[in-house]
Amino acid sequence: MIPVAYNVRSLFVRKATTIATVLGVALVVFVLAASQMLAQGIRRTMGNSGDAESAIVLRKGSDAELSSNLENNLVSLIKAAPGVKVGEGGAPIASGEIVVVIAPQLVDQPGQVANVLVRGVAAEVYALRPQVHIVEGHAAKPGTNEVVIGKRIRGKFTGIDLGSTFELNKNRPATVVGVFESGGSSFESEVWGDVDTVRAAFGRNGIVSSVTVRLLSAANYDVFAAEVEHDKQLGLKVQRESDYYEKQSEGTSKFISFLGSAIVFFFSVGAMIGAAITMYAAVANRRREIGTLRALGFSGGQVLVSFLLEAVLLALLGGAVGVVASLSMMWVEFTMMNFATWSEVVFNFVPTVKIIVTALLAGGLMGVLGGFLPAVRAARTSPLVAMRD
Amino acid sequence: MTIVGIGLRNAWRNKIRAVLTLIGVAVAVIAFLFLRTILSAWTTGADNAAKDRLATRHKVTFVMSLPLRYVDHIRTIPGVKAASYANWFGAKNPNAEDQFFATIAVDSKTFLDVSDETVVPPDQKEHWLGDRRGAIIGDHLAKQFGWKVGDKVTLEGSIYPGDWEFVIDGIYTAARRSVDRSTFFFHWDYMNESLSAAQKDRVGWVMTRIDDPSHAADIAKRIDDSFADQETQTLTMSERAMNTSFLGMFSAILKAMNYVSIVILVIMGLILGNTIAMGVRERTHEYGVLRAIGFKPKHLVAFILGEAVLIGAIGGLVGVLVAVPFINQGVGRYLEENMSGFFPYFRVAPHDAILAGLLALGLAALVAAIPAYQASKLNTIDALRRVG
Repeated sequence: MIPVAYNVRSLFVRKATTIATVLGVALVVFVLAASQMLAQGIRRTMGNSGDAESAIVLRKGSDAELSSNLENNLVSLIKAAPGVKVGEGGAPIASGEIVVVIAPQLVDQPGQVANVLVRGVAAEVYALRPQVHIVEGHAAKPGTNEVVIGKRIRGKFTGIDLGSTFELNKNRPATVVGVFESGGSSFESEVWGDVDTVRAAFGRNGIVSSVTVRLLSAANYDVFAAEVEHDKQLGLKVQRESDYYEKQSEGTSKFISFLGSAIVFFFSVGAMIGAAITMYAAVANRRREIGTLRALGFSGGQVLVSFLLEAVLLALLGGAVGVVASLSMMWVEFTMMNFATWSEVVFNFVPTVKIIVTALLAGGLMGVLGGFLPAVRAARTSPLVAMRD
Repeated sequence: MTIVGIGLRNAWRNKIRAVLTLIGVAVAVIAFLFLRTILSAWTTGADNAAKDRLATRHKVTFVMSLPLRYVDHIRTIPGVKAASYANWFGAKNPNAEDQFFATIAVDSKTFLDVSDETVVPPDQKEHWLGDRRGAIIGDHLAKQFGWKVGDKVTLEGSIYPGDWEFVIDGIYTAARRSVDRSTFFFHWDYMNESLSAAQKDRVGWVMTRIDDPSHAADIAKRIDDSFADQETQTLTMSERAMNTSFLGMFSAILKAMNYVSIVILVIMGLILGNTIAMGVRERTHEYGVLRAIGFKPKHLVAFILGEAVLIGAIGGLVGVLVAVPFINQGVGRYLEENMSGFFPYFRVAPHDAILAGLLALGLAALVAAIPAYQASKLNTIDALRRVG
C-alpha cells in the first residue's frame, strides 16, 4: 500500500485549496450536526417534561391542555381511580391544573410581546414532578398570589423576575417568590401559581385544563386508564405523560430535522463538488508522480485507494472542524414557539455521540463520493504516458 | 478575440472542472432561492395584509374571549366603517385527524364584507347565508378532502367538544395572496346557540374596517381606551402587526434561515475561488509568456476577472432557470395545495431571482480578485521559469 504520509504531505503542499475544501465540508457538517442537535434538544426538553410513571387526563378530542376543559368535580373522581400513588400525608399525588397563555413585554425588545404559559398547579405538584426543584427563593404558598417561574424565562419579560410583581390579568397581580429548574424540561419556560388563584384571575372558576396523576408504577397505567375512560359519558382521555409530551415535540423536532436535512442536501452537493474539483486538480498535477508510482510497481488499485484515502482525509478534516464548531452551539439558547401551546419554549442544542459520529461519517462520505471519479482517473493513468509529460 | 471569448476558451480548457463549478454555482443558487422563497412565503401574510383593517383581541391572552357586546360598541367608534367577529373553533376531520386546517366561526352577516379578499360565487353566498349549518371552505381544503358543494360533513370539536354537522354551501377562492385557502368558515350563531350559558356570547376577536389607513394607530388606541375601565381589556392592532407578532414567534427559525442563506453564498464563493485560483496557478507560465509579448498586468486582470464573471454568470443563470420552474411548478404548488395554512403563496419573488443571479456574478468577481491581483504582480522572468 502507498504510505498515508504521502497523502498527508500532498494535502499540505496546496494549502489554499485544501483550506477552501476543508471549509466547504466543515460548513456542511456544521449545519448537519447543529440541526440534529437542535432537534435532539427539542426532544430532550419536551421528553424531560413527561414521566412514564405519570398519566395525564384531558378532555376527549383535545390534543393539548390549552384546548381542554374539565369540570372541577372530575378531579376528585380521577384522583380516586385505582393505580394512583398516595403520598406521605395520605393524599393522592395528583395535580388538577389550569393552563393559560399570557403575553408579557419582552425586556430586550421594548414594545414587543411574546407568549408565556401560566400553569395553575395543586399543592402536590412537587411530589408529582420530583424533577422540579426550587433553586432560588421558595415555593409559592397555596391560596396566595405568589408564583414561581422557570429559570429559563427569568429576566426575559418585564416584571417576571424573582421578587417582582406583574399582572396576570387586570388587577390580578402575582408576585414571583421563587425560581425553579426541572432538568432542562419545557416547564422551565413556564410560570406556576396556585390553581385557584390562576383560574380566578382568568374567570375560569370550577374548571381545570388537565389532571396529572402519579401512578404506583408504570405498569399500573392500564388499570388507571381503563377506569377513567370507562364511563364514556365523562368524555375523558388518558395518556402517559411521557407520550403526551413526546407527541407535542414531534411536529417541531420533525420540522427542524426536515429543514436541516433539506439544507444539508444542497450543501453537501456543493461540498462534494468542491472536493471533486480539488482532487481532480491534485490528480492532474501529480500525473508524473502517479506514473512513477505505477512504474515502481504499485497497482492501479493501490493508486485508487491512495487517492480515495486522500479525499476522505480531506473531508474528515473538514468534518472534524465542522463538529468542533457545532459543539460551540451548546452555549446558544434557541427560543421557539411550541406549536401545541402557542407559547415560547427555550431550547438548547444537545450533542450526542450518535450525532457527532454521524456528522463525521457524513463528512467522510462526501470525500468518498467527491473523490471517487478523480481517483479512478488517477488509477487509469498509464505509467508510460504520464512519465513522458 | 474579445475578453468574453478568451474567458470562455480559458474556462472550457479544463472541462470537468468547468462543469463541476457550474453545477456547484447552480446548486448554490437553487438552495439560496429556495430559502429566500421560504422566508418570503412566511412573511407574505404580513406583507399582503389589508392596510385598512384592525384586529381586536383580549389584552392579556388570546386564549380568552371578549363579550359579544364589545362588537356593537366598536361599531360606534369614529373611523370604524364595519366590524365583524369570529371565534377559533379548532375542530378536526375525524377521518383524517392529523391533517390540520383552520375552523373558524364567523359572523356571516358581516364576514364577507370585512374580509373582502375571500371570494365566494354570489349564488353560493346567498345559499350559505340562509343555511344555519352551512359552511364555506377554501378550494385547497375542498381538494384535500374531496369535499364538494352539497356534501354533509361531521367535524369533531376540541375546544367545543362533540360532533358538529355541517353542509358545504360554498367554496371560496382568494383575491389576495395572503389568504389561507384551506380554512373552514361557518356561522357563529350555529356555534353560539349550542353552548352553555357560561360560554355563550363570547367572541375570540373582532375584525374592523376603517375609513382611512393613515389613522389606524389612532383608531386602535380609541378602541382600546374605550374599554380601559372594563373588566376585560382589549388589544387592537393593524392586521399586519397581528400577523407580524405571530411571525415573531418563529423569529429564531427565520433568523437561522437567513444565516444559512449567507452560508450558502460562502460555499459558492469557496467553490468559485478554488476553481479560479487553480486555473491561475496552472497558467502561471502562460502569463509569463503573455507579459513577455507585451500584454500589460491590467490585461491579465481582465482575463482572470472575465473568466470568473463568466462562470458565475452562466452558473447563476442555470441555477435560476432550474430553480424557478422547480419551485413555482413543483414544490410551491405542492405546498400551496397541502400546507396552505402555512404557505398560502409559495413562489420565487422576481427580485430574489435577480438578486441570486447578480450575487453569483458578483461573488465570482470578488473571489477572483485575489488571484487576479497576484497574477498582475507576477515578475515575468519568475513566471516564465515556473512549470506546471
